[in-house]
Amino acid sequence: MSGLIQLLNSHGIPQDFVIKAAFYFIAALTLLFALFVVLSRHIFRAAVYLAVVLTGIAAVYLFLDAEFLAVVQVLIYVGAIVVLFIFTVMLTADIDSGTFVGTLRRMSVAAVASLAIFFILFKVINMVTAWKTAVPAGASISLSQLGKSLMTGYALPFEVISLISLAALVGALVIGKAEKR
Amino acid sequence: MLSILTIIWALIVGIIVLGFIAASAMFLIWWERKVSAHIQSRYGPMRVGWHGVLQSVADAVKLLLKENIIPAEADKLVWWLAPFIAIVPPVMAFVVLPFGKNLIVKDLNVGVLYLMALSSVSVIGIFMAGWGSNNKYSLIGGMRSAAQIISYELPLIISMIIVAMQAGSLSMQKIVLAQAGCWNILHPNMAMAFIVYIIAATAEINRVPFDIPEAESELVAGFHTEYSGMKFAMFFIGEYTNLFIISAIAATLFFGGWQGPILPGVVWFLIKSYGIVFVLMWVRWTFPRLRVDQLMGFAWKILTPISFVNLAITGWLLLK
Repeated sequence: MSGLIQLLNSHGIPQDFVIKAAFYFIAALTLLFALFVVLSRHIFRAAVYLAVVLTGIAAVYLFLDAEFLAVVQVLIYVGAIVVLFIFTVMLTADIDSGTFVGTLRRMSVAAVASLAIFFILFKVINMVTAWKTAVPAGASISLSQLGKSLMTGYALPFEVISLISLAALVGALVIGKAEKR
Repeated sequence: MLSILTIIWALIVGIIVLGFIAASAMFLIWWERKVSAHIQSRYGPMRVGWHGVLQSVADAVKLLLKENIIPAEADKLVWWLAPFIAIVPPVMAFVVLPFGKNLIVKDLNVGVLYLMALSSVSVIGIFMAGWGSNNKYSLIGGMRSAAQIISYELPLIISMIIVAMQAGSLSMQKIVLAQAGCWNILHPNMAMAFIVYIIAATAEINRVPFDIPEAESELVAGFHTEYSGMKFAMFFIGEYTNLFIISAIAATLFFGGWQGPILPGVVWFLIKSYGIVFVLMWVRWTFPRLRVDQLMGFAWKILTPISFVNLAITGWLLLK
């Protein structure tokens, strides 16, 4: 993004206007598709809409000058997780036999759960940050700095996460093998 | 005034890239037909123009004029969107391909990762085509494609990471400059990474011997069975653009990119890229198709362990 801002500055376009317009457009699109994800009656379409939402979130990362995070977001969430969702949908029997109709009981449980998650996240974000809307100067971190901090200051959490992933992988293998026999 | 010039300049760059994509795809289709014909002791297209050079143009006109048939039982929205999703990632990949010293749209500092992300997105288009067509052959093709792309993504990404480790950067231009003295392919560990990359990349774009998603003899045409006219042409152009892109990435990562003596950089880049394209065509018309179980076994039991060992060796060599 910073390159684009420089370009705009040098050519006399009010950068604020362009960036704000782009941001609101992308944010609106992301929220719209997020609504589609939960309102769609076709589970396959919902998965495709989810891919759009996750791409929109990657675009928001670009606005925050986090290019690496944006690309990783697309690589992991769109390229791997949504594909995995779709794959699971395809493996599920009777998925195209009809559309899903939610019952009131299910919907109320889902509403309570999602509201609870929303308030927990809202509270935590409110506690930790003060809703900064602009990138502080010099916040952009180079890739090598990121790599070094993962290997030094954040080495323990990094290793713990990789251990959990490994455990999940082995667990999935064991379950998959047991079902085959 | 200047701002309008910037927009016009951006439009010109976009038109050049799209024009290159169309021209390259048409040339590659003609070339593929000629290469396959000569490998099989035939002539291939001979009628339209000199040795059939204009055959692709004639085919493109034919596809443009053909009726766009929508299957009655299709999931219309998904079916309609799929070709667009399939063609956008290859077009976006041109942003970071370094054609020459200054001939690059934008040298992103996460260039290699960007290419990986794009290659992982394109599978969604194939999925949508397979699902949206509501045809069992399409669905099986889409599922096979997904399983294949997920499996081969791992060795593909690791072999690209090995190059990034050697260059100490994820920027495509810096990777080219890091090979100023000696091409990456001349190091034994890099040569191994290249072999893994080219096999995994061939699988990623569903080419023979890894074309089970569209195996004609069992699946009619796989995920694009139900597409006709321009929609089919979009899948076709996307496929051949992907072929050029994986060859261009190979040329950049392992063969020194645009660097070379005497001739200008862009010429060297195109020679190297199309040279690798030729090798891939040669492979396509020489090897038989793999079975599904062989394909999966090959990815998980051979390519992935090799690339992990190679990653460890490269790390050790760099730290030594």
